[in-house]
Amino acid sequence: MQIVKFPVKVKLKKFSDLIFFSQLDLIHLLARALRRTNLPIYFTQGFHPRVKISFLSGLKLGVEGQMDVVFYFREKIQPQDMVRELSPQLPKGLEIVEILS
Amino acid sequence: MINLTNFQRPQRYVGNEWNVIKKPHQGKIKICLAYPDLYEIGMSNLGLRIIYGLLNEYPDIVCERSFLPGSDLIIHLSQSQDKLFSLESKTPLSEFEVIGVNIGHELNYTNFLKILDLGGIPIYANQRADNIVVVSSVSNPEPLADFVDVFYIGEFEENSKIFVDILKNCKSKPERLRALAGQEGFYVPSMYNFYRKANTYFFEKKYPDVSLPIKRAYVRDLDTSYVPTKWLTPHTEITHDRVPIELARGCPRRCTFCQARDVYFPYRQRKVETVKRLVRQIYETSGYEEFSFLALSASDYSHIEALLDEMYPFFLKHQIGLSLPSLRVDDLITVLHKKLLKLKKSSLTLAVEAARDPLRNRLNKEIDIKKLFEAAKVIKHLGTRRIKIYFMFGLPGEEEEDLLAMRDFVNKLRSESGLMVGVSINIFIPKPFSIWSDQKMETESNLNRKRQSILNNFSRVRNIKLSVASVKNILLEAIISRADRKFSEVIYKAYSKGAIMDGYSEHFNWQIWEEAMADSDIDYNDYLNNTSDNYPWSFIESAKVINSCK
Repeated sequence: MQIVKFPVKVKLKKFSDLIFFSQLDLIHLLARALRRTNLPIYFTQGFHPRVKISFLSGLKLGVEGQMDVVFYFREKIQPQDMVRELSPQLPKGLEIVEILS
Repeated sequence: MINLTNFQRPQRYVGNEWNVIKKPHQGKIKICLAYPDLYEIGMSNLGLRIIYGLLNEYPDIVCERSFLPGSDLIIHLSQSQDKLFSLESKTPLSEFEVIGVNIGHELNYTNFLKILDLGGIPIYANQRADNIVVVSSVSNPEPLADFVDVFYIGEFEENSKIFVDILKNCKSKPERLRALAGQEGFYVPSMYNFYRKANTYFFEKKYPDVSLPIKRAYVRDLDTSYVPTKWLTPHTEITHDRVPIELARGCPRRCTFCQARDVYFPYRQRKVETVKRLVRQIYETSGYEEFSFLALSASDYSHIEALLDEMYPFFLKHQIGLSLPSLRVDDLITVLHKKLLKLKKSSLTLAVEAARDPLRNRLNKEIDIKKLFEAAKVIKHLGTRRIKIYFMFGLPGEEEEDLLAMRDFVNKLRSESGLMVGVSINIFIPKPFSIWSDQKMETESNLNRKRQSILNNFSRVRNIKLSVASVKNILLEAIISRADRKFSEVIYKAYSKGAIMDGYSEHFNWQIWEEAMADSDIDYNDYLNNTSDNYPWSFIESAKVINSCK
């Protein structure tokens, strides 16, 4: 059975100490941050389910900047609610600056 | 301040992990836990995490961390005025009153000296004015005795308060050392005269109030002992990237080659309730996607079925992976496999050690081989893609057939399971505190011959991943693990000639060690052939091992 997934797209700012962390690091970091919330996380289907996160743009190691990221949920949630839940779980150097959809 | 972007994997040095503890230094006793290996390895060490969390619970203590840097940063630190620093506040190691080092492995000894050196701390204990270097997690402390102010023998949780109180009440280094020397688990080498006359080691106290023999400290109640539930979560991948939850400490078995049974004596189990609570709490504070249930032998945990039953809904709901690193096969085919099937991926390791029954029986390794091959059929349905199997050679009483039988064993396991088999073959060392500590190490030439014969024998076997320990590397580990105080000199000389990261084959250099031993007039066979009447470590009380080789 195909589970429907509801995307929320945001603009993330990477700065300060977080510039030393790679794209791959960010995927793990954001997945763990989401797991610390009570949000209805969408997991990929199949043998090794994981938290689904898509990067629409990336940043090089060592530079500050912004990137577009999509999070996915099992139910429709208000993007503002997601930001409220997720923001306290983000380390210094990572901030949601804008909801894109 | 060092510009981290100039170095490989700068993530290692940032110190901004989730749940990291940063306290102001003002008015507090400063302790730095320095781990003698890279960040990724050190952060996988449970002991380091326990002690870090525990010491920071005390309001008068600030405890930070440091690790052996990568080669590029080592070069920078050696060539500049910069010193090795703590991750939390970037304070040079020399500014900490106490440096705590969890050694973990004999081949980390030169790394330990490197950390002191890079941190601006004199390598020899008698040249240090104020810093106190405390070393734990060594089974035989003697080869390090010249470099260490205080050894802690056993499990630190039990006596952390005594330690902190002494640091608070005694201000000078001599006072602190003197006070620690009488406490359970603390061994202060400068308080003793140790020497060898003919074939005997003599141990003498310099002062009446210091302990002898040294008593190993252990946690009396594992259910109430400290666990850091605000789990320090790195933002980058580490070697064992999962949360280890101890089900038990110690081991109820009596494998003759194993020192862990004695070192972690007695066998203690945690209640299911405690394990459940810890998993929930740590998941909530960390969001970690994988846990492992840790024990020297997880199958011996009396409540393993109940635990898996009760944890299953939680693991499923949050899609948490579980690994059970030390399962016994008999349990696997009876009940456990049905439970494991429902969980997300489980890894499987079988420590068989010897391929034939007679030798395995001599090892006290109780495995029902018929059941193991039945289990192999079950394993392929578990979602595991690989089985890992462990053997040893160089064992006392070993015959040529034992070496050859490894191949047939692996072949059968491979065909019954249809899985990729990882084969890891190690070399027996008569380790201190093991039942076989009195056995002789196999000679180097025999080990080389046996190793070659194993390699030849496996040369045509496909679909396996074979790794066989290197003889020189194991030889060094054996020598260091059994050496006496005289060996400090060798470690220093080898270190000065450039020995570092001896556990990594790309860094290991036997020639340096050979020269250092020759320079110090040491015949290492003395240590390996068990020529003395007692051991360099005989001043430490061994657990009452029931030596019941059948």
